Amino acid sequence: MEAGQEPPFAATGAPVLQHSRFHRLSDRWAHLAFLACSLLVVGLIGGILFFLASRGLAAFWPVAGNTGRTLSLSEVFLSTDWAPSSDHFGIVPFIAGSLGVTGLALLIAAPAGILTGVFIAKLAPTWMRNLMRQVMDLLVGIPSVVYGIFGLTVVLPFVSGTWLAEAPASGFAVAALILAVMIVPTIVSLSTDAFESLPTSLDEGAQALGSSRWQAIWHVLIPAARPRLLTAAVLGLGRAIGEAMAVQMVIGNNPQWMALMRESTDRAPFLRALFTPAATLTTELVQELPNTPAGSPWNNVLFAMGLLLYLLTMVLILATRRLGRGKEA
Amino acid sequence: MLTPTLPETKPIKLSVRNMAFSYGTKKVLDGLSMDIHAERVTAIIGPSGCGKSTFLKCFNRIHEVSSTVNVSGDMLIDGVDIYRGGIDEVDLRRRVGMVFQKPNPFPKSIYENVAFGPRLFGVTDRSSLDGIVEDALRKAALWDEVKDRLKESATGMSGGQQQRLCIARALAVNPEVLLMDEPCSALDPIATAKIEDLITDLKENLTIVIVTHNMQQAARVSDYTAFFWLGRLVEMDLTERIFTTPRVQMTEDYITGRFG
Amino acid sequence: MTPVLTFRRSRTSKFVDRLMRGVLWGLAILFVLVLVVFVGAILKQGWPVLNLGFLTKMPETLDAGGGIKPQIFNSLYLVVLSLGLSLPVGLGAGVYMAEYAGKGRMLNFLRLCIETLAATPSIVLALFGMIVFVQAMGWSFSIRSGALTLALLNIPVITRVTEVSLLAVPRELKEASYGLGATKLQTILKVTLPYAATGILTGLVLTAGRAFGESAILVFTAGTNASAHFPDFRLTVPGETLSVHLWYVTSDGTLPDAREIAAGTAAVVILVLLTLNLLVRLVDRAIRRRTRSGLFST
Repeated sequence: MEAGQEPPFAATGAPVLQHSRFHRLSDRWAHLAFLACSLLVVGLIGGILFFLASRGLAAFWPVAGNTGRTLSLSEVFLSTDWAPSSDHFGIVPFIAGSLGVTGLALLIAAPAGILTGVFIAKLAPTWMRNLMRQVMDLLVGIPSVVYGIFGLTVVLPFVSGTWLAEAPASGFAVAALILAVMIVPTIVSLSTDAFESLPTSLDEGAQALGSSRWQAIWHVLIPAARPRLLTAAVLGLGRAIGEAMAVQMVIGNNPQWMALMRESTDRAPFLRALFTPAATLTTELVQELPNTPAGSPWNNVLFAMGLLLYLLTMVLILATRRLGRGKEA
Repeated sequence: MLTPTLPETKPIKLSVRNMAFSYGTKKVLDGLSMDIHAERVTAIIGPSGCGKSTFLKCFNRIHEVSSTVNVSGDMLIDGVDIYRGGIDEVDLRRRVGMVFQKPNPFPKSIYENVAFGPRLFGVTDRSSLDGIVEDALRKAALWDEVKDRLKESATGMSGGQQQRLCIARALAVNPEVLLMDEPCSALDPIATAKIEDLITDLKENLTIVIVTHNMQQAARVSDYTAFFWLGRLVEMDLTERIFTTPRVQMTEDYITGRFG
Repeated sequence: MTPVLTFRRSRTSKFVDRLMRGVLWGLAILFVLVLVVFVGAILKQGWPVLNLGFLTKMPETLDAGGGIKPQIFNSLYLVVLSLGLSLPVGLGAGVYMAEYAGKGRMLNFLRLCIETLAATPSIVLALFGMIVFVQAMGWSFSIRSGALTLALLNIPVITRVTEVSLLAVPRELKEASYGLGATKLQTILKVTLPYAATGILTGLVLTAGRAFGESAILVFTAGTNASAHFPDFRLTVPGETLSVHLWYVTSDGTLPDAREIAAGTAAVVILVLLTLNLLVRLVDRAIRRRTRSGLFST
């Protein structure tokens, strides 16, 4: 209210209340401030892309600041030969490693997570439902280094020396197992939501025809929830593919794993595949980035691997959008 | 006040004696007794919240899907107790089909919706399935409308068609009893009329129990009518008599719209 | 003409039903056991190491017997700083999405961005922080590089939590406020945000827990060294946290008692997170009770 000005009175004698200019202006400015916060997020998405691309793509273009030679796309993306000290920069072992360990983890986590989701949503008594929620909350809150140390000090010693593998037993199997436990809470919570949002009439309809509980789940509820279950699996996949520390601590960090797997013949092929020390995009970044000089082809290729991970994340998120749209149609 | 006295030639299919129902400590139904005859349509009417839908769901124990409930007294199907006679609830639901308030087709094709039940019971051979599906759709007066698009999704049909599909789906497992829980409450008058015609056709070899809040509907389709109020059976009689000369004043007040 | 069929339930379908119910119960119990074994193992390994000396001594670089005092400080300091940086942005963006964006393309696009940022692997955020703060700004491995990059991890979580909590506020409440002539900002500040406070606060504690456990980002931005001074509030010094320390001593391997240090550190991390989790529940319950007893009626 401006100074010296009496509030106008209506005929009834009651004051006619008006917003001061301060209120009106702050209302407008607040709108802009909130908008700015949102735009900052949008800017971040673009900024991350820009900076990662500026370093990652420098591997393939002669850019100022580069200290070594310019690489060709094929020698990076199509070669399995990773030996930076002798000028070989093939990252296929890391891409294959990421896909392998993630695929394996998803193979364990997706069925387990979806079934646990249906259990929580449809079968569990209330106390069990509450218990499971807490268990999943706690599992999701455990930091990845702690998962890593658990793998290193409990799971690896447990497996190594058995018929499965010699010490230290690092490789895809243990990494995937640890990863699976890490992503299960995501899949469980999303699939629980998916099953809970289905109308009870579907469940009742199936059981009114004489379905057993399981038949109703298997033939009606799971198909009806499929788009959202796929979304859950894709988001789990995204978490798994980007996980770095836990995997780095148990996978063995051997960029030459493909050759090693091919050459060694001492064990059954599937055991060799599961227990040969390997490496992934993320583990290699953690392992080598601190040791490489900026601007070198080696360093640039590592950033290109980061860029690849980021692009993969974007693709996966867009995929979940697609799936979501399929649900509405 | 129990069973109406008329020369009834059809046997008793369902019978209820001194039945009570509660959710936890809350009593919803109490002291119910009635007989329901085979190949007749029995309508249950009453103001909302009187427990008529709950009562209906006791016949196939479908409420056990979502909550723990307590039923006391006797509910018999062909003289065998539904709750204590050693009948498996899944077998019971095959024998006692149900059509719900809102059409609830599965998000599958029209064909797969109808074939769903038979498949559950191990019918896999294509030609038998085709036969069952066609037969059920014909009985539900839907065949001519959908025979050319059996592979299309059921969720794209109109509400009335969906409800008839749900009836066909229920018929496909050859039930002995069909429970209908306000089957027309979500439908327009034309679709309603079709379902009502269907009910009259279906009672040839089915026992039908229908819950409705539409008194004209009860008068049109049913042979017997039971009037519920606050979880109790007030009166049950031939529909004709309930609507012309009810014995209890409260029934008359309800059907003439003086309360409810 | 009507095919007379009798449907009988096969023994197998009954058996499968029993079996699968058993499998589902078994699976759920397995996850409970996994958690119990996990936390049990971490605490059991760390227990012998945990004592006042371990918590209050400075770390050693080459000899056994070091403590984790500066790492505890750095962890808390970085959590507080990163939350301080991300809270205004996250809240603002959340408020914008729930209250201003309306339904349509803009909102969809913003949600897409938030989802993408939330799904971005922390190692990718680490690379970004390394390029921008560590190298381009010339801040090297420092508390400020770490706090800023860690904030990027928090922002999408806070935004999402804020948006969800605000959307859960009953419309009648907001309408009542507008009905009295309140401006949008007044309504948000005086009615909507207080009502949503429980949800937002719970989300904040969870975000703090996540930031506390984060390691990948901090290895590349805050570094793997801790200041020799204590407490060192300078933003320009490297700030190794508990999680990073845990990883570093394990993978570096120059300490003779790396195993023990790692075990003790892991136990401390788990204990802090369990406490936070308990705190969330208590805060949640307390605020809910207060709200019911009339946060708005007074």
